[in-house]
Amino acid sequence: MTVTPVTPDAVPAKRVRVFEERVHVYAPHRASLPPLGPYIREFWRRRRFAYELSRTTQKADHFNTTLGAAWLVLNPLLLGMVYFLLVSVLGSGGGASPAEKPSWVTTLGRILVGLFTWFYAANAMSLGAQSITSGGRLILNQAFPRALLPLSSTISAFLMFIPSLPVYFVFYVLGSHFDNSKNSLPGLSWALLWVPVLLTVLTVQCFGLAMLFAVMSVYFRDTNKFLGYLLRIWLYLTPVLYGLEKFDHHKWALYLNPMAPVIGSITRIWVEAKPPSTDLLLASLGWALGLFVFGAWFFISRERDFAVRI
Amino acid sequence: MPSESDQLIPDELAIRLEQVWIRYRTSYEANPTLRGAFMRLGRREGRKRQVKVVEAVRDVTMDVPHGTVLGILGANGAGKSTLMRAMAGILPPTEGRIIVNGRVSTLLALGVGFNPMLSGRENVILGGLAAGLSVDQVEAKFDEIAAFADIGDFIDLPMRTYSSGMYGRLGFSVSVNMDPDILLIDEALSTGDAAFKEKANAKMRELVSEARTIVIVSHALALMQELCDSAAWLHKGELIQTGVPGEVVEAYMKFLKVGESAITLEDV
Repeated sequence: MTVTPVTPDAVPAKRVRVFEERVHVYAPHRASLPPLGPYIREFWRRRRFAYELSRTTQKADHFNTTLGAAWLVLNPLLLGMVYFLLVSVLGSGGGASPAEKPSWVTTLGRILVGLFTWFYAANAMSLGAQSITSGGRLILNQAFPRALLPLSSTISAFLMFIPSLPVYFVFYVLGSHFDNSKNSLPGLSWALLWVPVLLTVLTVQCFGLAMLFAVMSVYFRDTNKFLGYLLRIWLYLTPVLYGLEKFDHHKWALYLNPMAPVIGSITRIWVEAKPPSTDLLLASLGWALGLFVFGAWFFISRERDFAVRI
Repeated sequence: MPSESDQLIPDELAIRLEQVWIRYRTSYEANPTLRGAFMRLGRREGRKRQVKVVEAVRDVTMDVPHGTVLGILGANGAGKSTLMRAMAGILPPTEGRIIVNGRVSTLLALGVGFNPMLSGRENVILGGLAAGLSVDQVEAKFDEIAAFADIGDFIDLPMRTYSSGMYGRLGFSVSVNMDPDILLIDEALSTGDAAFKEKANAKMRELVSEARTIVIVSHALALMQELCDSAAWLHKGELIQTGVPGEVVEAYMKFLKVGESAITLEDV
């Protein structure tokens, strides 16, 4: 049998455009990807919806509390205090000599930056996990690329993270200024320029994980319940409340944990003014890209199933 | 089957349904859970008994030309809403193919994407963005939408303070003012008071006169006869009859064994 080859020239360019923008074909699917070009274009075109959804949801969430948006700053601060108490009570029996032991300012500085960054990631994951299962009405009544909902969760988590940055910055600058002990916070340095880079890497990774957990909770509603505990265990396995040096003898544990390289590097920049080492940087990038691609594939190939499953 | 090589859909058609089947599984468990999944892993044969396959739409083939106002009738559970969701691209067909030619706006439920804590103004923007417009486009339409909903100063109050009628009016207003090529409306015409109904009907006639395509699902048969220029009757997922509204409604009534009384015409 002969098949006439279709050359790209045979299709007029104008028609192709029209096809993508106006004509939609809905056909059965078997866990395969929809045409990615139109999907990504539509996703990008509607990105503002994801942002407005996050912004307005956050606004609505703080509508009924007396302190309102102040909770965005209070939350991370109170959490920082809780974990600072935890670490100073549990860690008081440490073997380091008083001269080498970091002052409480440094310890608090490390805990705060670690926690703020960690809770950005954790919020993206837990909000993302609920984004599809709680978006029932929207999903049943409006057609749009569903990946906008976990994107919106990631944006929400980022919007919650932003107010903690100036708080931390003030603490950081004052802490390094007034603390004259040997292991004090380093203050402003060029290494801080790495922070936005690593935060971008972390954001890509969070979006991937948000999509992953969103699909998982569509198929297993218990995911949300487990996730709370998973995130807490994950927090203790990640260099958030302690430094990267804990992994000196167990490097594998550092590289096996998707959150450890990137969050460890961010903390190290702040606390030791050291740019990330090449291997940590590569590990961060590898995890972020891997989880993003896997999460996006898992999500997009199954999203047409969501309307039936909810 | 039309040839795939040339054109997927003739220009004069808005929607083409080709042997569309939609099945979905319903599980007796209210929610799928890991625990349930583990339990079922143990006894494999038990799994089948827990799943019931619902054939919501069976072998429906239909062409809807541009500028048609199609009314879909049928008893509860006939698959009307499922078919509407499939045409909107929300539920993929299990078999067959649906080709839609144009920008679709849906009014399947009122106030989709609305957050009751936010003001009407913010919700109009959010609803417009959810429907796929850009911020500039929604802002350009805002006055028109607000004027059509006609809820006065309430537009700047949180939507939780709205009456359900006002809520519906704003939702309806957002959907019909999105400049859709194809508008899918599911049982939303009964929104608001008599005055608003009249306005809604006028707006529909205006959209029809602009050669837009509208598909309406409703139980208000009199309204269907008045607005629609063709009708389709679905029963248990199958397309029983299509044609002029008067004839289809008559056949449907005969089937229901009720006469054309004032009550059935208002709302069956």
